[in-house]
Amino acid sequence: MTLSDADLERYSRQLVLPEWSGAAQARLKAASVIVVGAGALGSPVLAYLAGAGVGRIGIVDDDVVEPSNLPRQPLHFTPDEGKNKAVSALAKLGLMNPDVLVEPYPARLEDFNAEAIFTGADLVLDCSDTFATRYVVNDACCALGVPLVEAGVLGFDGLVMAIRPGESACYRCAFPVEPAEGSVPSCREAGVLGPVAGIVGSIQALEALKLLSDAVPPLLDRIVQIDARTLEQTIVATSRRPDCPACARVPAATQSH
Amino acid sequence: MTTLDLTGVMCPLNWVKAKLALEELDPGDELTLLLDPGEPIESVPRSAREDGHEVRVDGTSVTIVKRG
Repeated sequence: MTLSDADLERYSRQLVLPEWSGAAQARLKAASVIVVGAGALGSPVLAYLAGAGVGRIGIVDDDVVEPSNLPRQPLHFTPDEGKNKAVSALAKLGLMNPDVLVEPYPARLEDFNAEAIFTGADLVLDCSDTFATRYVVNDACCALGVPLVEAGVLGFDGLVMAIRPGESACYRCAFPVEPAEGSVPSCREAGVLGPVAGIVGSIQALEALKLLSDAVPPLLDRIVQIDARTLEQTIVATSRRPDCPACARVPAATQSH
Repeated sequence: MTTLDLTGVMCPLNWVKAKLALEELDPGDELTLLLDPGEPIESVPRSAREDGHEVRVDGTSVTIVKRG
């Protein structure tokens, strides 16, 4: 995919990076990604992916904008109350970068629709707020061999994990036991400060740009943990489980990389 | 031998265009740039050297030998 003069101007500050290249930028332009959730993590993720020049972004969210979302979801504004979040995000991203094709999926991601929505994507970003959805996203990405960046925020704690199914540990390899329904407080119950989600979502977007551009190696087989109280960051090594029900049988060759 | 006229192109867009032109060349190939005096002629050769290319400056004309 060739870059126009307008592309060179718009993306000049990333193109001048020694690590970046015209080829890396062209890979972003040709890429198709799916972002699950246009909330606290989805806001920075969507803004940075659209800003960086990812060609096509699908947004999956069945939720509507509520006033209590606004302190930590800067893609949504007060007049958006009651609007579907994927549709609200689409309007902002269209103004931010009209060259990006944004497609809203105003639906809840479930077992039955995940693979259909992810098919053809080069990358999925999980910006959802429940553990159940996280395993659904992970398993569908593993089944299709689509790379994934997982992230989560709970109170002042955050986590990011980049995954190439068949090559690196998946979310289920790292966290094989799914928490029972209600055993872990959901984001709504635990509360969150906006900048904590902003930090975690920004790291998630960064790993996504690494995976898409091939310009800088992503952190595979690593779980990035952030304690926003102290700003301490811990990087925990993890590895594939040979008996992982999600990714053990994924051949490395199916990945788009 | 390729020549790229970058007069009238400001920093850092001039280096972006030169860098992308270099991507299309083979190691050892030469790219000549015509630059404006001032910031461009001071900044672009430095960027090229920092990226590991060999650089020759002649007035406001700069020849870059793509690194191996």
